[in-house]
Amino acid sequence: MEQRFLNPSVLAAISGLELVAKTVVDGFISGLHRSPDFGFSQEFAEYRAYAPGDDLRHVDWNVFARTERAYLKRYRGETNTLVTVLLDASKSMAFSSHSVPKIDYARYIAASLTYLAHHQRDAIGVVVFDDEVRDYVPPSGRQGQMARILHAIERAEPGTRTDFAKPFVLCQDLLRRRGIVVVVSDFWESPETVIRTTEPLRFRGNELVLLHVLDPEEIRPSLREPRILLDMETGDSLQVTPEYARHEYPARMEAHIAGLRSKAQAAGIGYFLAVTNRALDECLREYLSIRQGRM
Amino acid sequence: MGFLSPWFLAGFAAVGIPLWVHLLRRHRSEPLQFSSLMFFEQRTQSSIKHRRLRYLLLMAARIAVVVLLTLAFASPFVTRSVPPGEGTGSLLVMVLDRSFSMREGNRLAAAKTEAASLLNSWRPASYGQVLALDSQVHLLTQRTNSVDELRAAINSVEAGDGRSSFGELARALRSLSESEKLPLEVHLFSDMQRTSMPSGFADLALSSDTRLVLHNVGSEKPNWAVESVTAPRVVNDPKKVRILATVAGYATPAASRNVSLVVNGKTVSTKTVDVPENGRATVEFLTLDAPHGWNRAEVRIDSADTLPADDSFLFAVERSDPRRVLFVHEGRQRRGLLYYKAALESTADGAFQVEAVSADSVANVAPEKFAFTVISDVASLPPSFERALVQSIKSGGSAMIAIGPAAAARAMVPILESKIAQSKYAARSGERFLALGKADEAHPALQRTNRWENVKFYQAFDVDPGDARVVARLTDQTPILLEKRVGQGRVVVFTSTFDNISNDFPLRPAFVPFVERLARYLSGFEENSVGYAVGSYLELRREGSASRALEVLGPDGKRALSLSEAATTQNLQLTRPGYYEVRRENGRHELVAVNPDRRESDLRTIPEETLNLWQGAPQGESAAAATPNEPREERHNLAWYFLLALLAASVVESLIASRYLSTSKETA
Repeated sequence: MEQRFLNPSVLAAISGLELVAKTVVDGFISGLHRSPDFGFSQEFAEYRAYAPGDDLRHVDWNVFARTERAYLKRYRGETNTLVTVLLDASKSMAFSSHSVPKIDYARYIAASLTYLAHHQRDAIGVVVFDDEVRDYVPPSGRQGQMARILHAIERAEPGTRTDFAKPFVLCQDLLRRRGIVVVVSDFWESPETVIRTTEPLRFRGNELVLLHVLDPEEIRPSLREPRILLDMETGDSLQVTPEYARHEYPARMEAHIAGLRSKAQAAGIGYFLAVTNRALDECLREYLSIRQGRM
Repeated sequence: MGFLSPWFLAGFAAVGIPLWVHLLRRHRSEPLQFSSLMFFEQRTQSSIKHRRLRYLLLMAARIAVVVLLTLAFASPFVTRSVPPGEGTGSLLVMVLDRSFSMREGNRLAAAKTEAASLLNSWRPASYGQVLALDSQVHLLTQRTNSVDELRAAINSVEAGDGRSSFGELARALRSLSESEKLPLEVHLFSDMQRTSMPSGFADLALSSDTRLVLHNVGSEKPNWAVESVTAPRVVNDPKKVRILATVAGYATPAASRNVSLVVNGKTVSTKTVDVPENGRATVEFLTLDAPHGWNRAEVRIDSADTLPADDSFLFAVERSDPRRVLFVHEGRQRRGLLYYKAALESTADGAFQVEAVSADSVANVAPEKFAFTVISDVASLPPSFERALVQSIKSGGSAMIAIGPAAAARAMVPILESKIAQSKYAARSGERFLALGKADEAHPALQRTNRWENVKFYQAFDVDPGDARVVARLTDQTPILLEKRVGQGRVVVFTSTFDNISNDFPLRPAFVPFVERLARYLSGFEENSVGYAVGSYLELRREGSASRALEVLGPDGKRALSLSEAATTQNLQLTRPGYYEVRRENGRHELVAVNPDRRESDLRTIPEETLNLWQGAPQGESAAAATPNEPREERHNLAWYFLLALLAASVVESLIASRYLSTSKETA
């Protein structure tokens, strides 16, 4: 049976990040060629009756010639937009219960999204952060931008602990133009902190999307015996029983995800959960479907 | 409790594995890196304690599995005493020897007493059966749990005259074990005679689930017996009789015995013989003064031992005139008659008298009045005589035909009508001659003739044997002696002559025994042995003969056969010692003496080592020690119980382990 979606462990075997992004996105686009409405910009949306004060450049004169009524032709993105990916490279992103660590999965997502945007001639940029901004490639549509982006993503290695406050203050300064900001992180913070920290980006007119990358083991750990767990970022240790990991932890984790989702929605922020054992193109498709639904 | 394989107990060391896994290994918990402990809490002592309890249960189950597995392999057993006869569904088989030797002293009574005492201590929870043993095994009861029935069967056993055969007993026990599908506990009450053993020890093998207990009721006692008597069955001249009696002593000191020859209840001669220690001595009686007809004779000794029944040996002797032999020859050729008559009438007892008749004048002679007829190289026989001769042969007579040049002119063998194919010659010059080639030396005509040594044949006639049996051939494969059964009688063909022309046989020493043995064979009393042993069979009529009734009177003077048996039976088993009178269908009257098998007279017992070997006891252990009716020790293997417990422990371990490990299974 032909594999329908791209397995992350298969993608992990591909050495070049560009090739990974190309594999994911090309396959994805070719799979969606009958759905031209997907995308970030330059898409026709609707006609609207002219109202005084509207820019006359947008009047469809052909329609006016036939009907003697002025209509404005509206597009989803009238200009090339800015797509900036904020990639969390904290130490917790190195966690893995299978062959693909979260950081790799996040890299693939970041590379795929930027590749997709670049494919649509949008300006793309990337910010790699942990407790501060590690790397920054300003959004641009220039030639060679894609290579720079991919280089920056590839360079992103798990560093120290996550701290949203400091890098996001910096990001607010860096992202002055309106665009789409995609935050790829495991969001090991309380939903309030995450929303409070990321929300200022939205105030500037950016469309903000939180892409929550989690390992399946983080959602439902499989402990066979009482173990001492070591926090990868803080180094704290804790003895945990299988019963707790089996019953209480998943509930709390679900509450955390639900809280993050609901608070993001309340704040007008997009939220999408990407579990690292899911096929990447399937994940991307779902993400874009959700986005398209919002637009 | 003991162990059949105690070295497997070393497996107890494996108990350390679950102990290590549960008590040592579980404390080594390596820290596990996790992305964030944000939602984890320190949990908690009570849960760990609960888990530890379940660990201990699991550990106990696993230790139990190891222990039970080890014990099962070590095959533990317990010994418990079991009353005789009681077993796990076994069949108690009591075999009482009722052979002739059990007549000695009170052997049979002792055997019965022991069997009865065994029965007294037997709990009729299982089945029992009583057998009697002589040359065959007789079932006295079917399988039963009735003590009274078994006791009655034991009491009914009486000493017989047959010979005990342990080989036959082993064979019967093997088939009984096969048919009953039960373990057998066999108690043999016997005097354990050495002579009862089969030739090979392998014949005593019993099936694996048969337990044999031997009860020896006999002991070695000196015993003298008349072992054998050699006497002619037919006495023609009382002065020319030679009767040889062998007196044997078994486990006896050297002693003198008086040996008497008794004829018809009257002692006719007594001699004294010195019997060496544990040896044999021969007594010779040279006269037998007996009236004409059949006489009941016996040789008797005064043994004064504890088994008097073997002190006499019965035999039957017929006093008669010499038997007439009809010799038919061509009128001019009398050379054959000369040699044949000289040879036959020269025998020691003068049993035969040759009457020569030429072929021309034989027409009115009745062949049935002669013991047998010799036709010596006759070209043709009168048809009436030939018919009469054939008729007499068919009804049990015999004929001897010699083929010579005259007979060959007819190209057919008289009586048999077999074709004479050709004449075989060997020139006298140059030492070219034919000699005896392949021959059946067991045939009476060839016994004691030393294979016709140095006999040269110059002419023989190649007769088509047809369905006749070729007894002997010459070196060029020409049949020289043939025999064919015709009706009840037989015809022997000699494909050469008796006249010293076609061969030099009449001049050779082999000729006299050839003529004599053949004459005895043809006249029907070829055997010098006069004794039949109890249990042997007497041939009453040959196969395929007409069913004319005959009559047999047993030792007690009563008919031994029913009317239907008298009309059809071919053989009669001689079950009792004494004289049997047989009136055969051709009118012949015959007396047969039957004696107990003299091997029963040897009262020496089987060595104890052999008995131990037979009943499977360790060497050196007294056979008698195993025989009393004391409770026996029986091993019960407990391995199966431990295997069942192991199964149960495995199920418990699986249940506990599956409940414990279900967390990881779900999350995996």
